[in-house]
Amino acid sequence: MKALTLTRRVDTRTLIVSLLTALVAVSVVSLLIGAGSVSPSRVVAMLLGADDADARFVVWELRAPRTLIGLAVGMALGVSGALLQAVTRNPLAEPGLLGVSAGAAFAVALALVLGASAATLRIPVAQMGALAGCLCVLGVARWRGVGNDPVRLVLAGAAFSALLGALTSLILFFDQRSADEIRFWVIGSLAGRRLDDLLAVLPTIVVSGVLIALLARPLAALALGERMASGLGHHPRLIRALIILCVALLVGAATAIAGPIAFVGLVVPFVARAFVGPDIRRTLWVSLPTGPLIVLVADIVSRVVVAPSELPLGVLTALFGAPVLVAVVRARRLPML
Amino acid sequence: MLRSVLRFGLASVVISGLVANAQAREVNTAFGEVDVPDAPERIVTLYEGALDASLAVGVTPLGAITSRGVDTVADYFGEHTDLSELQIVGVPRETNLEAVLRLEPDLILAPAELPNEQYQLLSRIAPTVVPDTNPLTQDGWREESRFYASVLGKEDEIERVLAELDERAADIKSRIEEAGEGGNAYVVRWMPGGPMIMSSQLFATGVLAATGIEAEDGGLVAEGRPHSDVLSLENLSQIDGDWLFLATLNEDGEQALEAARQSSAFERLNVVQAGHVVPVDGQVWSSTSGPLAANVILDDVEQALLP
Amino acid sequence: MLKQDNASLAPKKAMFNGAMPAASPLRAPDGYWRLGDRDGTGLSLLIEKRSVGVNMLLAVALLLASVAYLSLGTTALDPRAVIQALAGQGDMMTVFMVQELRLPRLVAGCLTGGAFALAGILMQTLARNRLATPGIIGIDNGATAFAVASVVGMGVSLAPSAMALTGAVTAAVLTFGLATGSGTQGYRFIIAGIGVGAVFGAVTQLMLARVGIDTANAAYPWTVGSLNARSGGSVQLLGIGLAVGFVLAFGLARSLTILRFSEATARGLGVSVNARRFQILMLSVVLTALAVAVAGPVGMVGLIGPEIARALSTPRHVPVLAATLSGALVMVLADLLGRTMMAPIELPVGIITAIVGGPWLLWILMRPQRSRP
Repeated sequence: MKALTLTRRVDTRTLIVSLLTALVAVSVVSLLIGAGSVSPSRVVAMLLGADDADARFVVWELRAPRTLIGLAVGMALGVSGALLQAVTRNPLAEPGLLGVSAGAAFAVALALVLGASAATLRIPVAQMGALAGCLCVLGVARWRGVGNDPVRLVLAGAAFSALLGALTSLILFFDQRSADEIRFWVIGSLAGRRLDDLLAVLPTIVVSGVLIALLARPLAALALGERMASGLGHHPRLIRALIILCVALLVGAATAIAGPIAFVGLVVPFVARAFVGPDIRRTLWVSLPTGPLIVLVADIVSRVVVAPSELPLGVLTALFGAPVLVAVVRARRLPML
Repeated sequence: MLRSVLRFGLASVVISGLVANAQAREVNTAFGEVDVPDAPERIVTLYEGALDASLAVGVTPLGAITSRGVDTVADYFGEHTDLSELQIVGVPRETNLEAVLRLEPDLILAPAELPNEQYQLLSRIAPTVVPDTNPLTQDGWREESRFYASVLGKEDEIERVLAELDERAADIKSRIEEAGEGGNAYVVRWMPGGPMIMSSQLFATGVLAATGIEAEDGGLVAEGRPHSDVLSLENLSQIDGDWLFLATLNEDGEQALEAARQSSAFERLNVVQAGHVVPVDGQVWSSTSGPLAANVILDDVEQALLP
Repeated sequence: MLKQDNASLAPKKAMFNGAMPAASPLRAPDGYWRLGDRDGTGLSLLIEKRSVGVNMLLAVALLLASVAYLSLGTTALDPRAVIQALAGQGDMMTVFMVQELRLPRLVAGCLTGGAFALAGILMQTLARNRLATPGIIGIDNGATAFAVASVVGMGVSLAPSAMALTGAVTAAVLTFGLATGSGTQGYRFIIAGIGVGAVFGAVTQLMLARVGIDTANAAYPWTVGSLNARSGGSVQLLGIGLAVGFVLAFGLARSLTILRFSEATARGLGVSVNARRFQILMLSVVLTALAVAVAGPVGMVGLIGPEIARALSTPRHVPVLAATLSGALVMVLADLLGRTMMAPIELPVGIITAIVGGPWLLWILMRPQRSRP
């Protein structure tokens, strides 16, 4: 970790370029490797013009959509993590811990009870649930000003998640069919997601992206302190509210497509700050490629470790993310934002 | 204080008084020899398969736990008994011991995986029989049904029921052969990430085999598991047989088929293009049940393969 | 970062309750009774009047709840019949129902509730955060993961309750191990716990997704917490554990009271802070582990119990006994509700406590800060 602090001298531009290079490389690998019989050499041969219907199908119909969705999910989670941590001035704010996953799971359980099946689940259901869950927790937190206290915010998230979790358990207690189906939703995965799913949430992602781009400068000013920001002509409350809305939309979109993907939103900004320091704009720029990088690497691992089946992505990110989280808290003083 | 009361209570109560039946037979169960009454009258079943076997041999229990559905037993039981007469004594996740006690049963038919703590209490309410069978075999359910029937003193009846079932299966088999529709099959559940393949060593796949449709799992299901992990869509060709049974827990099977059809990998399968996909009731197809459920499966097969 | 308790403003004299300066004439401070040597030569004991009243009140409430618990259920019994049945009189069915079904479950409920709440108040005092519970540092998830592993048969032959105990201890050891070097104070410990808990949670989900629904059903009580799945051996173990733990907690009570103040104050008062912290933490973890092995993760009781106790007590002491009694009371009432609300279908107690406790927790978070810690 000491090495990380030293590398702060790394020029942000160089860093972003190398991260983007890595991201392109991983995306290519994501097209080459899978749980099936289509080997990298077959893919290369197909790309060079060989007539291989299977390879063409697997690459363009299965691996490519999944890679694209991985990119979108990773970006959404990484950026929203960075934003949430900045706006709550809380280095522990993780979207998944803040009622998003629990809210989405509750909505999904409700939808299942009302007759949907996990395979046909409508994306908006999970998105609305995630949004509602996140807003509730942040509402509670900001209401009492606990947003400034990292542990209390996490606890508020945990409390709200526990409540939603209990309500979900209650539903599942009575409805075995839903219980049976939801087991496969709560572990999060990119497998079998279609481009249509991505298109369904694309508007929200784009809207949030534009908002964030507009708000980045005022947000950076906010880091200087509320008075300073007001003095510069910004409206701190409005900025915070809009940013949190963006976060809820982004995380809701990601959760709706892929299910709960733990820890990405927490770890990515941590790593980003370790490289470029606390400036929110630089953190955002670095988080943008880092999120998808982590998600794609985890997804590739999830395809190969138990082939011909696949491991759920959410389990992998938890297994990877938790040690990183612990290492970060062990090795560094939590920087106040 | 409470603990001493408890200990006192344990010592003083004479449980055998609850079990008042002089005439008894011995049955070999997973928990050893158990004395059961010769002609049990007040029966509680804590397992779908036990309810199925009881009804199949013409014995209607007083109480049962709900099936995996919502708050009643599975629909197909409705053809065989008046469901409103059946007292619900819990759900598969929690048995309400007080509700069992209130029915004053003289026999309790319990599932194979009954936890020891539950057994200790249940066996003091009434003789509790737990089969010593392995449900994860094609014919495990037959053993189970025979076991429950024999406890009920209905050995002959269950043999007759099973023989009729075999006869019907054989009939369907010959008709399928005539129609040239036989072959192999996979039974899967469709999840968002891909299919889960049901083990070939299950109740449903066993019944299927009796009709000449060889249910396979492609070696994807680990020993002792009811189904595989979610198979990668890249490997879907591994379930491309002559028939594909899509077990769905929805009432509406077409909906599950629709969901699967959204996947281009599914659409590419030969079995799908041949129209040989059969949505079936997962409540029956993915459980370990008895003769009545087997008949439902035969109905499904007959309907799909011999229209 | 962690706000110091407002209680640090409490009168200092409260801290010397074991050894008041031998000033004569010996009068107990306001709101206290003094027991012991009237001449002021030996040790005397100050007993806070209010805490006696509170504890009596809670004990009576628990007794009433217990009677209700034994009387109500799928079959309602006359309280007189219950008392007769406790003595072994009455018809066999009633005796069996009371003595074999309800009483052991009541005992299990009291013990687990008491243990969770005691563990909770210890942890909260230690972390100086009223929302900290051992569950938050991953113990519940560890216990659940191991118990589920046992139920789904991942190559282990231990009974689920023994596995739950093992899992709770494993999670605690991991959290301890990961948080060492940074001290057991405050957020690092909690964050390490959240991380450990998340990993166990993910593993549990994975295991549940890989088995059939029947097996997943069998594992269900261990994922929400239920008094229906208890085993006799683990209840006895918990009984012993709670008795010992309670005595130890009482012994640590003075240190606990002092630990609520700043570290420097505690040191100044002669408390070896780190050693005490470690002891309290261990006690809290062991109690939770024993309780989880009986009932599964019903951690919410560890928040509600102490909260009730604090609301009733004065801020001078850490209300150890009141918290334990409140926890038992909450657990008994919650399970009573679960058994009767939707009869004949029983709701697991863990669901009830979470549905009641969730809003409660949020209310605490939203409540104005002037309230006592």
